[in-house]
Amino acid sequence: MPTRANMTKVPATRVLMIAALAALAFQTAAAQSNYAKANDSAKNKTAGTVDAAAGPNTPDLAKTLQAAAEAVGLARWSGVGGQRLPEVDVINTMEIWATGTTYGLGQPYKPSEPWAAFKTEFHAALAYNPPAMRLEMTCTNAGAAPQHTIQVVREKYAWDESEIGAGLVPGKGTATPTLAAANHRLLQLWILPYGVIKAALAAGDKTKLSTENGTAVLTFPLSGQLAGVTVKATLDANNEVAKVETRSENTALTDLLTETEYSDYADHGEIATDVKSPGHIVRKQGGHPVLDIQVKMWDANNPYLVFPVPENVKKAAAH
Amino acid sequence: MTRHARYSTILVTAALLCLLPGAVFAQNNGGPRMDHENTLPPTPSGPTPRTPDGHPDLTGLWNGLADNLLGVPNQMHNVGIEVGPDSTRDINSGLQIATWPLQNRQRQNNEQNERAATLLRRMGSNRPIYKPQYWQRVKDFDANSNEEDPSNQCMPAGVPRVGVPSYIAQTPTYLIFIYPGQGGLIATQTSYRMIPTDGRKHTDLEQLDGTWNGEAIGHWEGDTMVVDTIGFNSTSWFDQLGGYFHSENMHVVERLHRDGNTLTWTATVEDPDVLLEPWTTTPRVALLNPEPKAILPESLPCSERDLAHVVTKEHH
Repeated sequence: MPTRANMTKVPATRVLMIAALAALAFQTAAAQSNYAKANDSAKNKTAGTVDAAAGPNTPDLAKTLQAAAEAVGLARWSGVGGQRLPEVDVINTMEIWATGTTYGLGQPYKPSEPWAAFKTEFHAALAYNPPAMRLEMTCTNAGAAPQHTIQVVREKYAWDESEIGAGLVPGKGTATPTLAAANHRLLQLWILPYGVIKAALAAGDKTKLSTENGTAVLTFPLSGQLAGVTVKATLDANNEVAKVETRSENTALTDLLTETEYSDYADHGEIATDVKSPGHIVRKQGGHPVLDIQVKMWDANNPYLVFPVPENVKKAAAH
Repeated sequence: MTRHARYSTILVTAALLCLLPGAVFAQNNGGPRMDHENTLPPTPSGPTPRTPDGHPDLTGLWNGLADNLLGVPNQMHNVGIEVGPDSTRDINSGLQIATWPLQNRQRQNNEQNERAATLLRRMGSNRPIYKPQYWQRVKDFDANSNEEDPSNQCMPAGVPRVGVPSYIAQTPTYLIFIYPGQGGLIATQTSYRMIPTDGRKHTDLEQLDGTWNGEAIGHWEGDTMVVDTIGFNSTSWFDQLGGYFHSENMHVVERLHRDGNTLTWTATVEDPDVLLEPWTTTPRVALLNPEPKAILPESLPCSERDLAHVVTKEHH
């Protein structure tokens, strides 16, 4: 990157030696002062305190959540440039490209068989502030034409796009309101590993920590639009979210358990971010597989992803 | 080389390394230190001076935060995130962001720092909304900013990317804004703007040759100075990060409001060619340099030497 030309002149060695000793002494003193300040600050806090919107106040829970947040690179020190600032949640937008199989819900030839399988190209763009997701899938079944869908959700709004960004400028595609699908689509955002950590933090004292077979399990309710949905997340030995279980809010599928397993965590971005993402995602509903994908790339670098709501979707929601 | 000579060499090197940051900050003539414990905007204090014609007097050296040579308010704040010791907030959406207070943790190495910084500087929710046909272009520009960012080629920042002026001189009929060249987040040349406030109108856009800073005209709306600028080239980006390109039809309206020893600056960008809607920066609050004898340092020339050696897309 561009730098400034060095204008430092080199004075006498002896002067610099004295200056070096003075500078080193000053910096050592400053470091001790800063260390003391940090130590005082730490003493004034409960060990492992987490300050989210409503922070969990159980030390073990707080430590577990912090460990989970650090394990995937969500909690990062914000003191860029030498400032004495805390760790903060740095995840907002992400983009995922994956390939694998989806299964048609409730379409087996026999009850005991898996549901109909489709080879699937999976592309998701998502944001947590505000909560939004655009899921583009191309599903292919033998002998049939590929099915291409773009499903979008932003908070209470949901719509399907005929092309990316449809319905925002004249002559560029169609946006079809699908408001009833909003909660189902939004749920996909909060059962991703980062969504789980954010939602568990936001649930505050309602988040409970337990242990099953020696591994940590977080249980918490979602809120707002997704009130009534309870999430159970199992962490692995590396404190990464390994399994997430929820009940679908779909009234036609009441109490149908959804299980999502995440594995093969690594930094899957083209630009390294130290954010770990799962390389393999498997989802089951009611015990049947519905999604099994391998991640090709996961851009966690807060890329430019926006989700403006088309006017016709806003109008549909207002009625 | 004798043992004494070797020790001397080591100490001289240590001296240069230790003195370099001090030399940089010393150029702010005693301004506040950089190691903030929060990125909250400064709290105004003192009276707001007025000129004989009754308007607030914006004259002053507005680099009191001393985050860099420009004195731009903390770069985290630029992207709309306020970090306090115990809490963090997205200014645009109001969202409270999970925060883990600093404890006696081992600091990250430079590589980890840069990667965290990359995320931090892009996490704010206040993003311009481009027309869909340009979404991929913005993403590509940002992902490839090492090569694509004009500031990495030592080009001027342009308006409004240049941000809050480091120095303002105010007369009854014009304002002078000075922006010293800086390194750091974006590296730019020193630039200045002479902004008439005598009631004149803009030149027809068709008659203007597009420039980095455009044609600016100022007027007062109450106690707020409004600077209206047109006539840009299409080469600059309009915010610190993000690959936010624009067309020659960009229209920028800056608002500067003095409250005691603070100056709040925002810029609204209108560009119907590429944006779906106007976009306004998160307010940036500059602090008057508390040293009455402070002067702007001479900026060193921008010199691009690194691009040929860049081997990844990692950036800042």
